[in-house]
Order: sequence, then C-alpha cells, then structure tokens
Amino acid sequence: MSIVQRMASNKASSAALTFELVAKCSTTRARASILTLPHGPVNLPIFMPVATQASLKGITPEQLESTGCRLCLNNTYHLGLKPGQEVLDAVGGAHKLQGWKHNLLTDSGGFQMVSLLKLAKVTEEGVRFLSPHDGSPMLLTPEHSMSLQNSIGSDIMMQLDDVLVTTHPDKARMREAMERSVRWLDRCIKAHKNPDRQNLFCIIQGGLDLEMRRECCREMVARDTPGIAIGGLSGGEAKDDFCKVVATCTEMLPDLKPRYVMGIGYPEDLVVSVALGADMFDCVWPTRTARFGNAITKHGVLNMKKEQYAKDFGPIEDGCGCPCCRPVDQEGAIGVTRAFVHHNSAKETVAAHLLTIHNVWYQLHLMGGARDAIIADKFPAYVKEFFNNLYPDRKSYPSWAVNALKTVGIDLFES
Amino acid sequence: MSSDGHDPTAMTFELLKTAVKDGGARLGRLAFSGRRTVDTPNFFGLTSRGVIPHVTPDNVEKHLHTNGTYMALEDFIERPQQYMTRSPPIYETPSPTKKPLNSFTAMPSSIITVLGSRRLPAVASPMGNTNNGISVFTSTGFQAVSTKEYLNAIQTLNPDIAIPLADLTHKTNAPTSKRALRMAERTDDWIKEWFTELYKNKDSKIATFAPVLPISYSMQWEYLERLSEERESNPSVLAGLAVYDADLIPDVGSQYKNLDSLPRLALTAPSTPHQVLRQISLGMDIFLLPFLSTASDAGIALSFTFPPPASESSDLLPLGIDMSSPTHSISLSPLTLDCTCYACTTHHRAFVQHLLCAREMLGWTLLQIHNHAVLASFFKAIRESLADGTFEEKARQFALRYEPEIPQGLGERPRARGYHFKSEGPNEQKKNKPAWSKFEGEEGEEGEAVRKIEEKVGELRIDESGASGMGSGVDSISETPLVPDENADAKDLEEKGFAETVKEEEKK
Repeated sequence: MSIVQRMASNKASSAALTFELVAKCSTTRARASILTLPHGPVNLPIFMPVATQASLKGITPEQLESTGCRLCLNNTYHLGLKPGQEVLDAVGGAHKLQGWKHNLLTDSGGFQMVSLLKLAKVTEEGVRFLSPHDGSPMLLTPEHSMSLQNSIGSDIMMQLDDVLVTTHPDKARMREAMERSVRWLDRCIKAHKNPDRQNLFCIIQGGLDLEMRRECCREMVARDTPGIAIGGLSGGEAKDDFCKVVATCTEMLPDLKPRYVMGIGYPEDLVVSVALGADMFDCVWPTRTARFGNAITKHGVLNMKKEQYAKDFGPIEDGCGCPCCRPVDQEGAIGVTRAFVHHNSAKETVAAHLLTIHNVWYQLHLMGGARDAIIADKFPAYVKEFFNNLYPDRKSYPSWAVNALKTVGIDLFES
Repeated sequence: MSSDGHDPTAMTFELLKTAVKDGGARLGRLAFSGRRTVDTPNFFGLTSRGVIPHVTPDNVEKHLHTNGTYMALEDFIERPQQYMTRSPPIYETPSPTKKPLNSFTAMPSSIITVLGSRRLPAVASPMGNTNNGISVFTSTGFQAVSTKEYLNAIQTLNPDIAIPLADLTHKTNAPTSKRALRMAERTDDWIKEWFTELYKNKDSKIATFAPVLPISYSMQWEYLERLSEERESNPSVLAGLAVYDADLIPDVGSQYKNLDSLPRLALTAPSTPHQVLRQISLGMDIFLLPFLSTASDAGIALSFTFPPPASESSDLLPLGIDMSSPTHSISLSPLTLDCTCYACTTHHRAFVQHLLCAREMLGWTLLQIHNHAVLASFFKAIRESLADGTFEEKARQFALRYEPEIPQGLGERPRARGYHFKSEGPNEQKKNKPAWSKFEGEEGEEGEAVRKIEEKVGELRIDESGASGMGSGVDSISETPLVPDENADAKDLEEKGFAETVKEEEKK
C-alpha cells in the first residue's frame, strides 16, 4: 500500500461552510473529509436519514443523536404545508421547531411537485401545477423555494431544479431541463437571503447522457456554490448507468467541495458511490423499511416478521453497537431481541422505533467504517469485506458493482 | 438482585400512615429487593404487548420514572394460524436475571412487573369462562387458558407480582346473583389450586395479589374468608389484593383485619383523576390507569395538579389541553407550565401540535412522557398531603376546581389494532372514537370512506412490503407520502405559502 495522499492545501471555506479533505484512498476515488456547517462539523462520507416532517418516525431527537447522526433531512414540501411558512417564521425555523441542535438539509420541494402532480408543467418561470383538489393554478418558483428554505433555516438548502427521470426518452427535453436547472440556480443564488448562515448547493442534471452531465458540471462548478449535488438518479435507471453518471461527475468536480448524490440509500449503492468519489447520501429506505419490520445487517436485510425470528433471542445483529443491539451490560443498551421485535412488528409502533434506531445506526456506521478505512488507506479491503459479508458467495455479487469498482481499481474477485 | 437465599418475603409493604381523618386513605411503601421502591399511593405503567404504547424501553427508563408495569398474559400467547402448535416464544426467553418477563420485553430490570391474565380494560369474550379456566383475547383471536396453563406461565415468567385468575365477565352490566355466586365459587376453587401449586417450589418469590371480585361482599364472603385464613396460616404467600371494585375495600378491611394491611392494586380502570382521588380515600394503594394512554392517543396533554392552583375565578379548569388545536401552532411554551418532563423541557407546544397534525408518531410519544410525568407529580403531591394531613381538604378543592371529564381531543388517533378492542354488539360503547370526527361536516363522507378503507387494510397493509425490503414496499396509509397525497388542496398550499396561486391577470 502506498502512503495516503496528503495535500498541502486541503481546506476550503465559504461563508457558511468549511470543507477539509482529510485523506484520499490511494486506489479508488474515495475521500474522507470534515464538513463544518453552521450547526457543527460532520464527518464525510455520510449517510443522512430523512426526517420528512421534522421528525424521524417516532424516535426523539435525543435518540437520533444517540445513533451518531449530526446531519439529517427535512422535506421542504412537507414543512411548507405543515406547519407552513408563517409558523416556521414565527417559531424561528425548523431547528427550533423540532428541537434539533445539529445540522439540517432540505430539498427544494420540486421533486414532490413533479413526481405526483401529473398535470404539473415546468415552465421557465417555475413548476406550474393545478391543485389536485380544486384545480386552481399554482406556481412554485426558484425564488419561492429559496424563501421557504430560508424560513426553514436549513444548514444546506438545495436549488429548485427541473427534475426529469433519467430514463426520459426525449433528448431535447433533457437538454432543456439541464439548461433550465442552470438558469434556475442563478435565480436561486440571487433570491437566497442568508448566504452567510445557509449553504445553497447546486444540482447537476443531464440524465444518462454523460456529455450533457459534463456540460452541466462545467456550468454549475463555474457558479461556485459551497457544495455540489448529483441529481435525477435513483429513478429506476440501470445500476451500470447510475455508476457511470456518478463517476463522470466526480471526475470533473473540484476536490475541495462536498459531493452529494441525492436519494441513494441501499448499502451497496453507498459503498460503490463512495469508491467513485461521492461524499453524501440520503434516502428514506432505511427508516421506511424499518416500519415494515426489516432490519438492515451486514449480511443483508432480515424481515423480523418471519416466523424464524419468533424464538430468536439474539440481538437484531450480532456485534452491532447500536443502542438496541449492544450487550445489555453496556451503557445505554436496551437489550432488544429479535423475538421481541418479531412479537411487536406491525403491532406496536415501538418495534418500528427500535428498528429505526438500528437501521439508522447501521447506515451511519457503514459510512463511518468506510471513512476510517479511507484514512487508514485500507478502503479496498473494506469494500471487499463488505461484499463478502453481504453475499453468500462471489457468484452472487451484482455485476454492476463488480464493473463499477473495477473502473476505480478494485477487483472484487481478487483475494 | 438479592442473594439466592431462601427469603420467601421478597416483597415488603409497610403502612406508614393510616389517616383517621382522611377516611381510608393511607400512605405506604412497597419494596422488592433489586427493584425500585414504590411509595404509595402511586401508579404503575400499563403495557400493551409488553410495551408502554409509543415509548421505547430506553425512554421508559430515562423519561418515564415509572416504578412498575402491568403486563397481560393474553398479549404474549397468540397462536398464528400457520403455527398453531408452536408454544409461545416468551416461555423460552433466556434470562440471566431470572426475570424472563423483563428480558423478553427489554423492560429495565429495576422496574417491578405485574402479570395478570387480561389486558386492562379487557375485551369480554363471547365464549365465556369454564370451570377449568378463562377465555382470553389474543391478537389472533379468543382462546381458552386453563388454570394449569396459567400457573405454568406464572412460574415460567416469574413476575414480581402475579394476579391469580378470577372468573370475571368483563361486561359493564352487573352479573346476575346466580352468575355472581358462580364467580365467587370458581375463583375460590382456583385460588385453592393456586396456593397449593404455585408455592410447591419453596424458592418462589412471586407475590400473589389475590382478586377481590366486583360483586357484593355478601356474594364472596366465603372466598374472602379463605384469603384471610391463607394469610393467617401462611403470611408470606398472600402479599396483596387485586381490587376490581374500590367500594369493596371498607367491607374487606373491616371484616378481615389481616387483609387490611395488604397493598391494594386497583384493576378498576378509573377514567378520571377524580375517581382516583375517591379510590385513594377508600384505601387504594396502586393504580393502573388506562386513561393515560387514551389521553395521549387523543392528543391531550394532561394539565391537572394537586392541589389545584389558587384562583379567584369560579370557572372550572380543564383536566387536559388538546394539543392538536391550531391555537398552539406557534406557541413555544411547554405543554404545561412548570412541568419538568423531557417533553416540556426539550420541546414546546408548537412542535407537538405540528406532530399531531402531521400524524407523526413522535407526537404521541412526547404526550405519553408528559402525561406519565403529570400523574407522577399528582401522586407525589397526594402522598405529601397524606403525610401532613391535608389530603381530604385538597381533594375537596380538586373536585370543585376541575371539570369532571378529561377533554375528548379532536386530533386523529394512532391506528387501533384488532386486539385492542372488539365489537361486542349493537349497544357497545366505542372504545376508540372514530379517528376522523374532526372532518365531519367538512368532508364527512370522504372521511368515512377513508376510515373504512383504513380498517379494512389494517395490518395487512404493512405486509405488502417485499421481504427483500429493497424499496418495493407500498406505503401504508399511515405512512407519510413522499409525494403529496390527494388531500393536499390549493387552499392548503396557498395558505401555508408553499406555492403561489396564479392570479388571473398573470395568465397570458
């Protein structure tokens, strides 16, 4: 193994954020860094759980904190409706509303508009849609999205973009969406009232067309936002295509800015994306699947409702350090067994709360482990161990992951 | 944990003060080795399937300050259709502390466990009881539990306190005198068997709290006589009484002096603090309070104190505050002033209002924590008043100062499960108010339709998620949609300022 690359200049600051690159993997593009936001530092790579309506599905902010989480999401669309902008202004923002002392990231609200409202029409002005209830015409503009996110007071806010599914067949429309997203970024930058205490991230669009993605990267990077997101993915594209887009973008992005791949959450997607040079991820899947009785473990997803767990008195995952699983004689341990989760799955919400704590811990810990491995320059071994644990044998490794990792120097089949 | 000695009296109950002036009210202290000491009068947490609803065991320990919990065997012994022959998993719980009930439910080991047969309140069984045992209601339906089975369960699960089977109907109307007599006879037969079998093992430290039936004294005097004799001949075995009707206390106490000094656990399900005060004055020591969770589910933050606050006004004070009301939407006040609970010290009304309005589960969690804290303060103040002889006067003030009932609450409830209640016929009072009453008038029919769908879909809904868990799951109705639901209307969007309504003149 070669020595970890250390850069002379490894730190960059903007008004409300400092990014410090701590280490780079000598094989892959993986990076370990510290992102300092208005509500404290967070270690990257990071998984961010989604507290859609200012609450992470039944667990208290104190419990969320106990999983190690220091940065989570709220959804602008949901907070815009409930409790609404007026209330957010009166209360003093979303941190104060939910009693969360750490960092928040919000999306733009555009995704929800476009994905549900079939009648939504994206015009140059903004997202136009007919209210599904009474048919009256409504408009969500970049300026309005900024205004809402300013009221929320999130540490990281996202630009309103023209979101298309990556598999959209119309190339001309795809180009229009990409170019419009750039123009909307300019409007967002102009409308953003608190650049000194809230960070606005741009979102790279361009579907699966790598040339278009490159063009978008150039345009977005030129606008020098404090962080950069890769958008439009996780919409049903082939995993091979997903990896190509991520790799294409990270190749062009500056070293000293955080890179956020939106809507990504399955463990293997996280690990591969980190190898491809991405730093931040969010997804509702870990917390949603918890409410269906599913526990994420290093050996895969286990459905606790299955009869085989009815008399399984082991922890949810052996060796896991989360408050549910750690041995009962340890500080803060709850002593939860699979049998107990099975007993109350889909019957008492407490079972879902416990799995939520476990799953969030798992995801955060997966990224924390990747970070440690990058710093120790043992990331390729970490990746291999991860896949070795997850699949019964090498034949079942997904080919997209094998191929993507090969492009950054990891051969999963090499011992 | 205590040593492995052969001390049969693991439990002690000490009467500190029996106020002559304050009627039957009394001050006591209940102690189990290795468990929290309980100053009485007090209350225990009421569980559903082994959990205090909405509160994870770590939060029970950190924020609930409860000394004990009541659990019902019927919550643990269902027979899933495909696995009819399996024995209940809980019986096989390994427990290094020899407290399988705590181990299975992850309940902190400092908390006293009470094990009874039925939930509180219990659903009446159409099958009825037999000479051999009772009928219980599990999450998979009604099933019979024989006295033998129950004894085995108690011995296996080793709760701190066990309540023997009683032949109860769990119906609101009083039983006929014929039925009442049979209740007493059966319960008498069963308790005989109980004492013979349960204490065969000399090491058993389970404290028996024998039922006092909800029938007149004259109907059950023979049974009570047996309890008294048992207490006389074997004082360590009968440790307390499980009282189903508080009005029996004076009779039992005056007839049987040796039963009078036993701690009394209320299975009376009082529905208001007024009733709690009345039962305390009759001599009740420990309460189980279904109204706590009911209030939390209804979005009510209990707000009463003992004694009531001084005031010039003669207006009655409410016993609780409906936190779902929009009047709290920007209030940064705690749920109730001066409350030191976790919910009140770290959050505010605006958040709880938002959570209830958004049907986020955390809303009910925070209310549970607060409501348990209000009750803990209430009982603490009651004990202080008993110590200084002011109980009677303060209880009188309380009755005059507060409204008779806990407010209903307009917020939407969490989903009720099948095992929580069961229709008992046309005249039955609903145990759960329809969750959609808020919208009546506004969108009555639609609300009704949604409610019906929700009922139908019920638990099955969650099952739809693929076992793979890889995002194939369909949102259940109670899930927050990632995308807007059809109930989002332009009025909402505009009022809340999510988007602007396009004005006519702007449209080109």
